[in-house]
Amino acid sequence: MTAATMRGRRTAAGEAHRLLPRPLLVIVTVALCALVLVPILYILLASLNTDVGVAEGQFWPSTFSGTSYTRIWTTADLSSGILNSLLVCGFVAIASALLGTITAYVLVRFMFVGRLTILRGLVGLQSVPDTLMLLPVFVLFSSAGNYLGIAVIGTRWGLFVAYLTFALPFSTWVMVTYLRGLPGELEEAARMDGATTLIILSRIIIPLSLPAIVVSGIFAFLLGWNDVLFASVLTRPETHTAAVALQVFGTTQEGGALPVYSQLMAAALICAVPVVLLYMLFQRYLVGGLTAGGVK
Amino acid sequence: MTDDSVTTRPPRGDTADQPPAGDPAGSGSGPAPRRRGVTERQRPLWLLAPGGVLMTLVILIPLVLAFYISLIDLDQYTLRRWLQAPFIGGQNFVEAFQSGLLHSIWISVSFAVLSTVVTIPLGVAAAIVTQNAYRGRAWVRATFLIPYVLPSFVVATVWRTMLQPDGIVNAWLAKLGVTGGLWLSGPRSYWTLILVEIWAAWPFIYLMALAALQGVDGEVHEASAIDGASWWPKLTHVILPYLRGPVLLACLLATLNHINNFTLPFVLFGAPAPDDVNVMPMLVYVTSFQSLRFGLSAAMAIVSLLLIAIPLFAYLRALRLDVHEDGGRK
Repeated sequence: MTAATMRGRRTAAGEAHRLLPRPLLVIVTVALCALVLVPILYILLASLNTDVGVAEGQFWPSTFSGTSYTRIWTTADLSSGILNSLLVCGFVAIASALLGTITAYVLVRFMFVGRLTILRGLVGLQSVPDTLMLLPVFVLFSSAGNYLGIAVIGTRWGLFVAYLTFALPFSTWVMVTYLRGLPGELEEAARMDGATTLIILSRIIIPLSLPAIVVSGIFAFLLGWNDVLFASVLTRPETHTAAVALQVFGTTQEGGALPVYSQLMAAALICAVPVVLLYMLFQRYLVGGLTAGGVK
Repeated sequence: MTDDSVTTRPPRGDTADQPPAGDPAGSGSGPAPRRRGVTERQRPLWLLAPGGVLMTLVILIPLVLAFYISLIDLDQYTLRRWLQAPFIGGQNFVEAFQSGLLHSIWISVSFAVLSTVVTIPLGVAAAIVTQNAYRGRAWVRATFLIPYVLPSFVVATVWRTMLQPDGIVNAWLAKLGVTGGLWLSGPRSYWTLILVEIWAAWPFIYLMALAALQGVDGEVHEASAIDGASWWPKLTHVILPYLRGPVLLACLLATLNHINNFTLPFVLFGAPAPDDVNVMPMLVYVTSFQSLRFGLSAAMAIVSLLLIAIPLFAYLRALRLDVHEDGGRK
């Protein structure tokens, strides 16, 4: 969040700035909160219900129990899914945040031919359909098996490489928007004193932009964590991510005699926990990044 | 577009006697050639190498390959030796248009536009009600973010469960005396997709509108208060015009995101999707990974890229202005 919006927020407080009469404000706020909270409340209640209770169409559970949260780990292979997701997305986050920072630094501070094209490309790539990227990646990965004898499809590092296709441009763009606002005087002074670029990067740029680096890493992590498309094509059951594990569990349980909706809701909430935690911890930075980067 | 458009901006932190660091080839007629030499040498473009090489490997090469695949007859039989797959030129594109591509384009575009149109009033209203400070506002703001923060696959799983024939939505409708019916198949699935997308996506407009509202100068509020403007004229004539630009930008991005959304239809309806929600990403997915017609689906994906290029170029044009502003403001 830039200093300008912070200032704007402070001055915008006060009576003269009231935008709506109070009753209307209350009505709109309550309506919007209900729109969000009623489904959320249902998920919470259903996850604390029994499978039978949810199947009967109860909103308020007749008996509260946490058994769904204990049984889900044996019903679905959620634990290995979460582990795979954490591993793959964790490495994606680190790799794209670091490479993104270095690339963004050069893109922001130095002019060269093709610079604008690269910047445009970084933004444009975020809107290239994932299906278009997945196809050639799939063909390349499967031909690596045929031509080189290396199995890539189904491995975690194959998924890691595939996730870089969208995490890397996004992290780089987040860093570009941040570094653009960083004054250059400090590094110019260091340069006058004879500091090399690597020293400037490691002593000045990286420490100063640490919050943004963390944010760009988190975004890269979330892009991977939220992905279903790549993971559903490029993994096999042992390397399923949390998203695919949940999706497979959701579709297979519907074929069963008694649907296990309560456990499904518990599983869905568990998959949301890391994301919600990250947002709670870094809310201010992440929301600022959302509007700066502009892409989910 | 050349780099000249940005080289005119004052380079940050440069002392006055230095030539612009932005002079691309050092060919400018700036003074002090020795100084320029220093700037030149200290342009560490080699730092681009790690990111650049990786992006070339994982993005550029696949993108070029995607165009090539769309021109060859690649299916499960030729996949093992795809380099030898027969080159068939534009035939994949012809076949794509003969096999339901136009239908999917129509579904995708109408779904995306409808979703965006409905999310605008929701998002702007949410931004307006959280603009003025009051106790508990932080909680309201956090609540508004929930649908956006939740992963798409979680949102889709949850709504899929609630919209089952024996799910909670139909149970509530039955209490009201309404027969719910099927939400996840048949013609109604189209409206289900739009409703769930709206539920998940309106906070994005809210975030962008809120950022724009916070940028409105305090004097604007004070001036209209002194004029004695009541809330409605003030809102429509004073405040909302400030939101037009940012919200339009947000709409472009939101529409792009709707068109590209694969997770929501995939998890809500499964693959193959019902005909009424066979959006472009689903069509491409099913054609490639269930029918295993890779060449055909690459052609479809490229058509969808062209479709997206229209709002994308509009967005990039709008964003170019931002680059200049940021550079100038320093």
